[in-house]
Amino acid sequence: MSELRRNVQRKESWDKVTGNAKYCDDFSVSGMLTARILTSPHGHAIIKRIDTSSAWSIPGVKAVITGKDFPVLCGVLLRDRPALAIDRVRYCGEPVALVVALDEETALKARDLIQVEYEPLPVILDPADALKEGAPILHPQVGVLFPDVKDIYPIHGTNIASHYQIRRGEIQAGWKACEYQVEEDYYLPPSDHLAMEVRTARAQISADGKVKITTTSQAPFSVKKQIAEYFKIPAGQIEVHVPLVGGGFGGKASVMLEILAYIASRKVGGRPVRLVITREEDLQSAPCRLSLRSKIKLGADCQGKIQAAEITYWLDCGAYSDIAPNMAKSMASNGTGPYYIPNLFCNSFCVYTNHTYATSYRSFGHESFTYCLERAMDRLADRSGIDPLEFRLINAIRPGDLTPTQVQCTPSNTGNLVACLQKVKDLAKWQGTAPIKIEPNKVRVQGVSCLWKSASPPTNAVSGAMITFNPDGSLNLNTGVVEMGSGNKTNLAQILAAKMKLDISQIHVVYDVDTRLNPEHWKTVASLSGYMAGNAVCQAADDVLEQIRTIAAQAFECQKQELEIADGMVFIKNNPNCYLLFKDIVAGYKAPDGRSIGEPVLGRGGFMLKGLSILDQETGKGKPGPSWTVGVQIVELEFDKRDFTYRLIEAYTVIDCGALINPQAISEMIAGGMAMGIGLASREYLSYDFQGVLQSPTLRTYKLLHIGQEPDYRVGLVQTPQEDAPYGIRSLSEHGIIGIPAALGNALSRAAKVNCTQLPLTPEYLWSISQKGQA
Amino acid sequence: MIPIHFEYYRPQTVRQAVETYIRLLQEKKKPLYYGGGSEIISMSRAGDIHPGAVIDIKEIPECMVFEEQNERLVIGAAVTLRQIRDSRMFPLLGTVSKHIADHTNQCRITLGGNLCGNIIYREMSSPLLLSDAQVLFFGPDGVRRALFTDAFQLRMLMNPGELLMQIHISKQYLKSPYRYIKKTANEKIDYPLMSIAALYDQKSWRVAFSGLCASPFRSLKIEEILNQRHLSPLQRAEMVSELVPGQALSDYRGSSQYRLFMLKNTLADMMEEWEHV
Repeated sequence: MSELRRNVQRKESWDKVTGNAKYCDDFSVSGMLTARILTSPHGHAIIKRIDTSSAWSIPGVKAVITGKDFPVLCGVLLRDRPALAIDRVRYCGEPVALVVALDEETALKARDLIQVEYEPLPVILDPADALKEGAPILHPQVGVLFPDVKDIYPIHGTNIASHYQIRRGEIQAGWKACEYQVEEDYYLPPSDHLAMEVRTARAQISADGKVKITTTSQAPFSVKKQIAEYFKIPAGQIEVHVPLVGGGFGGKASVMLEILAYIASRKVGGRPVRLVITREEDLQSAPCRLSLRSKIKLGADCQGKIQAAEITYWLDCGAYSDIAPNMAKSMASNGTGPYYIPNLFCNSFCVYTNHTYATSYRSFGHESFTYCLERAMDRLADRSGIDPLEFRLINAIRPGDLTPTQVQCTPSNTGNLVACLQKVKDLAKWQGTAPIKIEPNKVRVQGVSCLWKSASPPTNAVSGAMITFNPDGSLNLNTGVVEMGSGNKTNLAQILAAKMKLDISQIHVVYDVDTRLNPEHWKTVASLSGYMAGNAVCQAADDVLEQIRTIAAQAFECQKQELEIADGMVFIKNNPNCYLLFKDIVAGYKAPDGRSIGEPVLGRGGFMLKGLSILDQETGKGKPGPSWTVGVQIVELEFDKRDFTYRLIEAYTVIDCGALINPQAISEMIAGGMAMGIGLASREYLSYDFQGVLQSPTLRTYKLLHIGQEPDYRVGLVQTPQEDAPYGIRSLSEHGIIGIPAALGNALSRAAKVNCTQLPLTPEYLWSISQKGQA
Repeated sequence: MIPIHFEYYRPQTVRQAVETYIRLLQEKKKPLYYGGGSEIISMSRAGDIHPGAVIDIKEIPECMVFEEQNERLVIGAAVTLRQIRDSRMFPLLGTVSKHIADHTNQCRITLGGNLCGNIIYREMSSPLLLSDAQVLFFGPDGVRRALFTDAFQLRMLMNPGELLMQIHISKQYLKSPYRYIKKTANEKIDYPLMSIAALYDQKSWRVAFSGLCASPFRSLKIEEILNQRHLSPLQRAEMVSELVPGQALSDYRGSSQYRLFMLKNTLADMMEEWEHV
């Protein structure tokens, strides 16, 4: 166990800090062609004509590809998205054509010569408009074309890509029991992931038809399956390579550029093609974070206990559905936050608009619905006359309570939110709701939000681990997990070191993923890698330990039970002088008399999620994910009452991590999440004009949080082990972001005496709602 | 990367620069004078401009000069923001340059580039509008000298082929009391929601604005109000903000109403500070 609680450096750190680490676009290949995309300048339009003849006339151009060359529909859940737009564009930035040329300059010159004639159509940028009668239907074929997709419920003839509902208790009776009520509408605009490494992909096809794709993906195995499916290639013909990934945040789990790289290579006889995507294209054309509209009605009885909730989420997934229906499901199944609400009526819609399409973003929609729900919680606490932290304690979900999808909570599956709330009170020196005056125009104020998250993976998601040995007796750990900065590979090595009772320096990890060599890992998403791959690693370790014991028992001519394994050796418990080093045994043992015993040790471990179910369509009953991680966050800020500016001082998170692994790495991961949450809450958004044209397509205009604007980050941990997880360690990597926007909204609402119902919380926004005399 | 081929020239004299420019213009190469390049590089990369040639002015002695000559401070167009700041020769100008971009870019962006570029804020113009600065152009007909306030009307007014060569500032203004406040939407480093520069001359304050409207400006009418010291700062600020509406800029950084709201506070703050000068 001691290996677990230790602070260890990430395995890839030295390569990264010396600049030696190589990412997808760092590898040169001789004879490689370059591809660039032409994108739509319209939010919604008919493509009347595309003339590529001038583009073809440029020397060095190898291919000019348009949608009709590959009339295939793509999409991980609903196949609604063409590789390149066909007849119609549905968002500004949508790829319309692809030019492949000897070099980038030629590709661009040719790209600018492609003539596209558009006929603009009415643009929808708000789910409310998308659902109005007479609204243009963006995907008339949805609900007809793929009617048998499981767990997705598109409504034909509308812009609804999917719909989920939760029905529990007696909602009318619930309202009768309520003394206090709030009803609020919220709106969150879309934003982007902005991983430091811009997304890209490469492809080549060998003479015998083998497809090789190299990509910045969090989901190499999904790339393989999707390409196989769309283009009807046997999956075994496809190899997908993923080197280190420079940040993903969910934005690299979607399969898009790989498809473009593949068709580019197909069109030039399989030659290697590098798809170049600029930062601006990455922002505008590749999928972003969802936008959300919601209506929340909450009621509490005279003791402050929530009795009823009616919640509607309208998730704006943009032009194509990608993984968004699952996010809508996740909002339905977790959309109450970590509170027990006996009477619940919740609808969650996934709605098409002409925004850039959305994909998973750190915490899979939890950061968005949590903002809405926790703002309403603060309003209801005020109305009930109860301190907001106390109000959350009263309603915190506890063992025995049911989640919205009627899973019974246990300490193992949900952790201990009450302990988190108690701990944060001390850590943050909770001051209550009254702003403290520090200068004539300045007040200091705190805001709180709880958080919880469960994953919504496919019920049959898998992972695997393989272990081999080196001549020095050290181990190689091989998994299908992508290393994208979240320290997964190091965590898994630490779990293996603990299982083997070995120093972590003796565990080598394989960074790059090659789908031919690495065991399948569903996707490196959902904070599930530690749980899924961790379990596979434990199993592989058990496999290795058993094989070593078998060989050693033969060598020592003893029973396996008599043997102990630690510190890179196997020895007889009662006679530690009788030992064998790993290096002498893991390739099979050669006895002093020359006899060979056993065989090389090769470890394998497989893991498949168990016990999950799809949700009942009527009531939402079911088990969507293996467990919940709960926590609470507080931000403290100084607010200038006169000009509505503010400065963050502190940000706190107390979270139930199950058990501790690499404590400093956990704190940093959570701090990173808080920083991302502050950026999202205070400044980040994709601003569109009425025609659906992005107004902030560059980092000059799209603002991120910078060094010098950050508060101090403080992290507290509660440990309630999750029994089915390796060493009890809970899923914990996305979570730091979830409650921060709400905590900031709660603090600023108090400071400015307004009711924040949107993001981002800019000084201008605060000023403008104060002018309307809200709150 | 910049996906276009372009020619690069580095003339040694102003005359060479202008001759090169005229020739390239005749060859339809859409030439640009090149100082620090920060704007040319990013706009070319984005495909917003397609210069066929750039003429780097950083080896022209007249454009690199930065010294006091007689009773004037002479600043070449290719002097960087960082040099201006570090020299402390004209503290107001140095303060303005300190608030433009980040350190890396301050070491690249030049005075001439900031004044003549496409980005509308041109914040370096404010101190020059206030200090009776003169501007020296070099064109096909040689040197042309103009008052900065005449030459800068919403933007630099230049004849075809002319190069902004130098700015001259009379020494009497260099050490005058000054104030500068820059407000951004949310960030430490960003274009201004508005910036206000003020310079004290004998007995009254001169004031110039950037970011408030579509172009930097100085208004004598506004100065007249602001210098009415018998009125309270807030009264004066309100009078001024009533003069601006309609012209206040409205963009994704801030609506015109918000700019006017900020203007009032910022002006009031500035006038409070004047009391201490």
